[in-house]
Amino acid sequence: MAAAATCGTGFGSSGSVAAVAGRSGITSFQRRGKAGGTDGGPRLLSIAGTRPSLRNGQLLVSTGLPALDQLLGGGLAVGTVLLIEEDKFNIYSPLLFKYFLAEGVVNGHTLLIASAKENPANILQELPAPLLDYNCKKELGEDVHNPRTPESDDNMKIAWRYQLLPKMEVGPVSSSRFGHYYDTSKKIPQKLLDISKCHEFFLPEKVSSTLAVESCPLSHGYTKLLQFVQNIIYTEGFDGSNPQKKQKNILRIGIQNLGSPLWGDDICCTEDCDSSHRLTRFLYILRGLLRTSLSACIITMPTHLIQNKAITTRVRNLSDIVVGLESFIGSERETNPLFKDFHGLIHIRQIPRLNNLTCDESDVKDLAFKLKRKLFTIERLHLPPDLSDTVSRSSKQDLAESAKLLGPGCGMMAGGEKHLDF
Amino acid sequence: PPRLLNTLDASEMLESLLALGGLVLLRDSVEWEGRGLLKALIKKSALCGEQVHVLGCEVSEEEFREGFGADVNNRLVYHDIFRDPLNWSKTGKAFPGGPLGILRAMCRRTGPGPVTVALDSLSWLLLRLPCITLCQTLHALSQPNIYPGDNSQVEQVRVLGLLHEELHGPGPMGALRSLAHTEVTLSGKMGQASASILYRRPQQHATLQTWWFSILPDFSLDLHKESPLQSQPHLDPQTTQVDPTAHLTFNLHLSKKEREARDSLTLPFQFSSEKQQALLYPVPGQKSHIFYEPDAYDVDQEDPDDDLDI
Repeated sequence: MAAAATCGTGFGSSGSVAAVAGRSGITSFQRRGKAGGTDGGPRLLSIAGTRPSLRNGQLLVSTGLPALDQLLGGGLAVGTVLLIEEDKFNIYSPLLFKYFLAEGVVNGHTLLIASAKENPANILQELPAPLLDYNCKKELGEDVHNPRTPESDDNMKIAWRYQLLPKMEVGPVSSSRFGHYYDTSKKIPQKLLDISKCHEFFLPEKVSSTLAVESCPLSHGYTKLLQFVQNIIYTEGFDGSNPQKKQKNILRIGIQNLGSPLWGDDICCTEDCDSSHRLTRFLYILRGLLRTSLSACIITMPTHLIQNKAITTRVRNLSDIVVGLESFIGSERETNPLFKDFHGLIHIRQIPRLNNLTCDESDVKDLAFKLKRKLFTIERLHLPPDLSDTVSRSSKQDLAESAKLLGPGCGMMAGGEKHLDF
Repeated sequence: PPRLLNTLDASEMLESLLALGGLVLLRDSVEWEGRGLLKALIKKSALCGEQVHVLGCEVSEEEFREGFGADVNNRLVYHDIFRDPLNWSKTGKAFPGGPLGILRAMCRRTGPGPVTVALDSLSWLLLRLPCITLCQTLHALSQPNIYPGDNSQVEQVRVLGLLHEELHGPGPMGALRSLAHTEVTLSGKMGQASASILYRRPQQHATLQTWWFSILPDFSLDLHKESPLQSQPHLDPQTTQVDPTAHLTFNLHLSKKEREARDSLTLPFQFSSEKQQALLYPVPGQKSHIFYEPDAYDVDQEDPDDDLDI
């Protein structure tokens, strides 16, 4: 894909160097044909909203959440599948789904929304509004009221050189063309939706329900969805079959709640279902379709409902990037003082190795997310400062026990069984 | 301290269960049965003037209607499956398609107006129908239809489903719970029934509330304060927060005069603001400037070259 394009330029430039080194005049070394563009520069696919990866030149698109882009090594590679394992009450995974689609609308990509639960037209209407450069700082200024806000220039008298250093939390970068911030409290403006192109797949409309009880339409939905996706890719030329007269574009596919009973799949209902291979076959074929076209896909799946763990493992292996969300609502962690600043944990379970021997694993394994009033932020999980020293030993033990669950990147403030007193 | 609850709050609790719409799951068990709460909800919606459809599978129609006043009974549209579930009597009253056919017929509603559908019980249906079909039908049933009238109003639909927890495995339970907008789990302690209600508004935070109640013979609700034998408070009485800024050997609190004196202190490496700006925001393309600010005391009359032996 894009990696091959960069290799081409290498040959071109070395050819020209050899030509100069030889005799002036007639030389057998010819520069390779002007590769795209009159400037003779490298022929990279310049599609809006994409950029080549810094590691291996892979073409990336943004997931709509710049913090998640950073954790995934720059973004989602074109042609791959991002699987979001839903949280228990399905509150935060629709947010990530919508961020992905909103990013597509803002960049002018074509969308394909498939759902069995919600009408895709409603999903489209509820996308969050993008925060544009000039008003983003003002919008977020009201949100941030922690004491770590940067002081104005007058106050930084001693450490004034640090004024311009970027802060630990990722704030909105005003001039970013890759990855935008969204305001979840506002809906996307209608004029952006009007110029965007969206294909919708709502399962109850596509599959007519039969009255007979015996023949339940098991996974006819999957077959129809695959045919729909393949049709769109072919007719709109995302796989290069119909040469497009206009600019090349990316197809962003979003599939919601895959594997739930509403799709006609019973992996969430029973443990030993005989048709468990249908979902895995669907994922395999979908990935084949994606790899041969300019598209990226996000799938949300209620893996906590899947009864057979083997299916979960197979599904994870068949996806490229797997991100799991775990919210604290209703669990005992909600009242745990360790987690009081956050709404849940985010687990990056898998990162792909595309055209590469190593993958871009971040060294921070303990990540937590928080849904502020307007923003969804992902932060490193840090322990609150341990201020009290008259707390009885037993409660300190609890803190130390819970801290053992966290990785070493978290800070060892309360680690260890014995608490050392000085 | 728990607030005093009166009858107004009882209707508030029922209102909150009905207001959200969609599927309302009532999870009960052998010890704490939920049919009373189901009938209280039916009575509440009937008295609000709504149409109530009841699918009766587990108890007979007479037993179900018992305890309801005439005003409520007239509003109930009762579909009786209990009497002849497999349609053996082949009378004209049989429904084509069985219970599934009835559910699908309920999906095709005629006019706008709030509708309440009570399923007594979902467990009965789940044991006889495939889970997937039931989930898909429930989902279709609880979706509000939009009638393209002059107001294009969205109708209010609620499906109240009674589910006996002990009969089902985690798979079907999980599948139904993921479909529900409101989930009521009935339990209790010391003879006092309680309902833990989980409200799952779509796209919003989930909230959990617990109410202690009892059902009166006429199926109205009576709320109680929390039972006095509730669990001990989790905090130990001696965990007071210690102020870390007390008992220090240095002074953390400055008086106003001290603060002013500190601010007016000149720092040894203080640059003029011009130089600061030039260092912070370097202008590309300009050659570098040299800023020299002589120290105040550095005025030397001697010629430094006097030391040289030239």
